[in-house]
Amino acid sequence: MNVPRLFFCCLLLSGVLCITACARLFSTEASLPSWHSQDLPEGRADCTECHKDQLAGALKPSEAFSHSTVFIRNHRFYAEQDDRLCATCHARSFCNDCHANEVEMKPSLKYGNRPDREFMHRGDYLTRHMIDGKTDPASCYRCHGRSNNEQCVACHR
Amino acid sequence: MRKFSVWLALVLVALPSMAHALDLRGDSTTILRLEQRDIPGFAKKDVYPATEFFRADLGNLGNDALSFHTAGWGRLDLADRSTGEGDGDGDLSYAYLLYRTPKANGQIKFGRFYVYEGVAAEQLDGVAARVDLPAGFTVSTFLGTPAWLEKTNNSSDALVGGRASYRLPSFLEIGISTLYENNVKTGATPDSTNYRGLFGGDIWFKPCKTFELRGHTHYNYATGGLAEHSYRAAFTPIRSLMIVAEYNQDHFKDLFASSNLKSIFNPDSGDEVQSYGATVTYAINKAVDVSADFKRFNRDSSDPANAGDSNRYGGEVRVALLGNKSRSGLSYHRSEGDSSFNNSYHEIRGYTMYDADRFIASADAIGHFYRENINTRKDDFELIGSMGYKFKPGLVLSGDLSYGQNPRSNDDLRGLLRLAYNFNFNYENKGAKK
Repeated sequence: MNVPRLFFCCLLLSGVLCITACARLFSTEASLPSWHSQDLPEGRADCTECHKDQLAGALKPSEAFSHSTVFIRNHRFYAEQDDRLCATCHARSFCNDCHANEVEMKPSLKYGNRPDREFMHRGDYLTRHMIDGKTDPASCYRCHGRSNNEQCVACHR
Repeated sequence: MRKFSVWLALVLVALPSMAHALDLRGDSTTILRLEQRDIPGFAKKDVYPATEFFRADLGNLGNDALSFHTAGWGRLDLADRSTGEGDGDGDLSYAYLLYRTPKANGQIKFGRFYVYEGVAAEQLDGVAARVDLPAGFTVSTFLGTPAWLEKTNNSSDALVGGRASYRLPSFLEIGISTLYENNVKTGATPDSTNYRGLFGGDIWFKPCKTFELRGHTHYNYATGGLAEHSYRAAFTPIRSLMIVAEYNQDHFKDLFASSNLKSIFNPDSGDEVQSYGATVTYAINKAVDVSADFKRFNRDSSDPANAGDSNRYGGEVRVALLGNKSRSGLSYHRSEGDSSFNNSYHEIRGYTMYDADRFIASADAIGHFYRENINTRKDDFELIGSMGYKFKPGLVLSGDLSYGQNPRSNDDLRGLLRLAYNFNFNYENKGAKK
């Protein structure tokens, strides 16, 4: 067994041992609700309108989650740490509009009646992608590097 | 895939018997596109694809801790083919049982689902668990088979990983995460391995009310190199003003190591991209906010054709009036590449929409102006108009009409009809009430 595999197995084993050891020591805090108790209007949510302090469960100040332009453009950082809070207001299919193994149509087309939403690839992106792709291929890789690249393969074989 | 279909069928058959008081929430969106494609050098095509997107969340299965969630889509081409493949296509995005504990934010998922935990952003057929421990610790783990990867012979039959984190309320969260996937060709051509392995660390740090740092570093232990750094520092001197600085560094040898599309994401190149920039947003009042952004990209490559610098900068104004019923925006951005490296363009966009009790209407225009010709044109534009009628709050019929010209097609005229239905039912025993 090579070193990386050994490292990974040790890490996994420690994780399992840790979970087992703590099986009777789970947090006693109440879980987040399965769904936000109030219906939220369309448009960008501002959590601070109702939540004045930190959000229970997330243990972060409510202003950290207000959906500003900056929040929306950087939402991956919030989701990678705890997507359970996202799931109290957004159905999982909300994420799948953009993030899926196969996206049927670009979100700005599916929601052509919602120009206020922040979507990638508006307009004639097929022309523009060669410029943006050359500038920073890593930004393409996050969504198209290992999945959702059926349309890429049509030309890039 | 066959195994997954079998267990999914069993779950669906068993659901009604498990439910004594079922909550059903979901939506259906049916879209019919009407397009005439006129690309120089190719025959004209009439394309009428009809697509159904569905989502259903079934709660209260047996008890209120157990629920079932599913979503997907299916398409049928009613005239010429809309893609280079068959007359139809579809995808089951997710279908999983979820068990949630009343305390400790514990949850177990079983089925097809999306995992987003630190280094992992994967669609799996498998199982995942997550729970909060005392003193701010959280652990999660997942195990399964990657659901489906496009056009690939570079997918595995097992993927496993997890994340552990520690949180100090409203001050700090640090996490470590890892994943391992077997039988995946990884790395540059002469030194490739047969597994995919990532290890990462992430942080959220807010030492004072006006400053916040968040970001992550990913290490590829299959190639032995750092794949990515990505960090954001936000400064909020007053509630209405936010200044965010960002820094990103990507090493293609390690980041692209397990790509299944190496014609684009080629780890052999050894290129690196560093980018840094800032965004400033200011809310003038509750109705108007403005933002300006700047980002510089430095691409290093052994191939002179791929090495160069680019800047992207611009600004945006957003206006929300009449209690958010009217929303409008105007933006300008410039993408500027070194003339020896890349093309450049200006982007201008404006939109407005009105969302009334019964009607919804919008108009959207976007245009680009390029420095150098692309297929004999130096510009493109697209105009979209949309009108919709709400039969009731959850049932909306809308139609879009768009027209554009661009370097690839003479005239790009498209129509789209959309019927969206949101439902929320609660079934008690044998009866049903809305």
